[in-house]
Amino acid sequence: MNEEPASRSLSRRTLLKRVIQGLGVTFALGHVIPRVMAEAGGVSKNEADHLIVHVARPLDAETPVQEFVSYLTPNSRFFVRSHFGPPPAEPLSDPNWRLSVSGLVDRPLTFTLQDLKQFEEVTLTAVVQCSGNGRVFHRPKVPGVQWERGAVGNAQWAGVRLRDVLAQAGMQTKGRHVQFQGADRPVVATVPLFIRSIPLEKALHPDTILAYEMNGRPLPLLHGAPLRVITPGWMADSCTKWLTDITVQAEEAKGYYMQTAYRVPTTPVEQGIAARGQSIPVEAMVVKSLIAAPQEGETLKSGPVSIQGVAWGGEVKVAKVEVSLDEGKTWETARLVGEDHPYAWRQWQLVWKAKTAGTFTILCRATDDHGQTQSKTSPWNPSGYLWNGWDRVTITVAA
Amino acid sequence: MTISGHSRAFLLMISLVGLAGVTAAQKEDLGVISAAPALRAEGLIIARCSVCHSADLIAQQRLPRARWEATVEKMEHWGAEISNDEADLLVRYLSARYHPGAPDQLPPLDSEFRKAEPLAQEPVAEGPLTGVAARGAGIFEHNCQACHGAMAIGGMGPKLVKTPILKHEELFLEMVLHGRGAMPAWSSVLSPQDIADIHAWLVTR
Ligand code: HEC
Ligand code: HEC
Repeated sequence: MNEEPASRSLSRRTLLKRVIQGLGVTFALGHVIPRVMAEAGGVSKNEADHLIVHVARPLDAETPVQEFVSYLTPNSRFFVRSHFGPPPAEPLSDPNWRLSVSGLVDRPLTFTLQDLKQFEEVTLTAVVQCSGNGRVFHRPKVPGVQWERGAVGNAQWAGVRLRDVLAQAGMQTKGRHVQFQGADRPVVATVPLFIRSIPLEKALHPDTILAYEMNGRPLPLLHGAPLRVITPGWMADSCTKWLTDITVQAEEAKGYYMQTAYRVPTTPVEQGIAARGQSIPVEAMVVKSLIAAPQEGETLKSGPVSIQGVAWGGEVKVAKVEVSLDEGKTWETARLVGEDHPYAWRQWQLVWKAKTAGTFTILCRATDDHGQTQSKTSPWNPSGYLWNGWDRVTITVAA
Repeated sequence: MTISGHSRAFLLMISLVGLAGVTAAQKEDLGVISAAPALRAEGLIIARCSVCHSADLIAQQRLPRARWEATVEKMEHWGAEISNDEADLLVRYLSARYHPGAPDQLPPLDSEFRKAEPLAQEPVAEGPLTGVAARGAGIFEHNCQACHGAMAIGGMGPKLVKTPILKHEELFLEMVLHGRGAMPAWSSVLSPQDIADIHAWLVTR
């Protein structure tokens, strides 16, 4: 037992003085909290280097688009997003971590990471993109993390097929959906857990994997160590990090993050009105492109300017990227360059001869193999998902 | 809302910045909010709303009143510890400062305005302050438990039972009033008596 008495005496005068000082500090703190908290959250500099932080705790941070001049996005520069932040490292470490597979299966199983590595390894390059990427551009404005352009990245993922793991457990025919849960938890237990499911067809697709490597390195903690789902061509809300539980079910997952969040209306909604009608989960990506160079606000010398960037279509290949320098009145086709893999992005380039001094706005838009072309803006939806309006960079050509 | 002559000079004109492009429907959100409630709202955002996520998630939104109402209601439903009055105040403050027409970069709350504001605390008399452990338990549960865990055994914040800081009441006070890193400052929310009560309760654990 503690020997201190239950009642303590504090000088009221000292207290008053401190309260007054404290008031100033409260406000000062309000402004410095993001930086301090990022440190308190245990995020070291080389884990999340040069990212643009939107929320310090739990960390939500995007990649500056100039990084996208490189084909693969390095792990330390890859955007970071989760609802509750990474779980403590200890339960995820090798001796402690387990993956459980249960529900409508003949043999509920648990796997260690070593067990999983018995399955055939698959390596693929795929874009991973937050469903809210570009939310800040929706009008009227919508609530949520105000992502700009960089909540996306292209990485090489290695892991095993989800369908191989499910086959070992023995899928029952009633199973229509595969639910994922990770080890991350909210600080207050009344907050709904992040539980999602994908339909059977995507779960059994040979390219849907449980990934333990990102760009040739073990998956970093911020990106879901030791195991995350990769559903190539689908938005990242299906790519559960810190995966611990797979459940085969007859129904879609229940709960806020499946039934309310990450859904879009099936029919266009009136701007600014919350959706009341039918909605469907956000799944496949829509065709999109970004300008990685030159950068917003850059001043260039007159002469040839290399305009370059990336474009992706999710499950569909990119057919064409076009650039406009007259607010979309005329478009010039860019050259698709570099590597070409399903689910990955395509790099593109166009040389523009900047002849006159002045301020110019460069626009780009992509078209996929199904003939879908990016529009100037995207359909408004109440939570601001799936933005794929034309990308736009304004630069100055010096005299 | 009645505004005393004294505080009229400090009316927050925050919502009058960046009016261009605001539709008629949005105009009703543009109230002005006087100094004392703004200060209390800021205190609530730090103490009550920053338990699960940092306050930057709030400050980056630009929403009409109806969507602020829905958001605050959702947060209450999820576990934000605020009374109905506090919820009303927050909605009023948030929809005045962070409305759809507000600029991306808002000026910080004016420092003059901060200094002029009297403390929201009850008048403090001379003499020693005696903590009451029985009261402290409830105050702890309401304000601190979300981060420091039930019975203060630790959670997202460190455990507080049987820790050296309890023996150094000056340090304890310093910490709770001013905060540090992810630990919020409580000076605008808790009275000195409240803090003494929490301390008294903790040392009995
Ligand atoms: C009990 C935990 C908790 C508390 C306390 C809390 N929030 Fe939240 N808040 C959340 C979660 C969880 C999210 C969703 C975060 C995410 O998706 O990354 C959220 C998201 C938000 C958002 C973004 C919009 C949205 O709907 O996702 C706003 C704005 C917000 N909170 C405001 C507040 C305000 C104002 C308060 C204080 C009244 C508050 N929060 C208190 C848990 C909490
Ligand atoms: C939003 C979460 C949060 C809330 C709410 C919170 N704390 Fe904390 N507290 C923390 C964190 C995180 C730390 C560690 C800060 C650091 O060391 O940088 C901390 C540290 C402390 C410490 C210092 C511990 C030590 O040994 O140095 C004390 C004392 C404390 N808190 C008391 C309180 C009291 C009393 C309350 C309620 C009035 C409270 N806290 C509410 C997060 C919180």
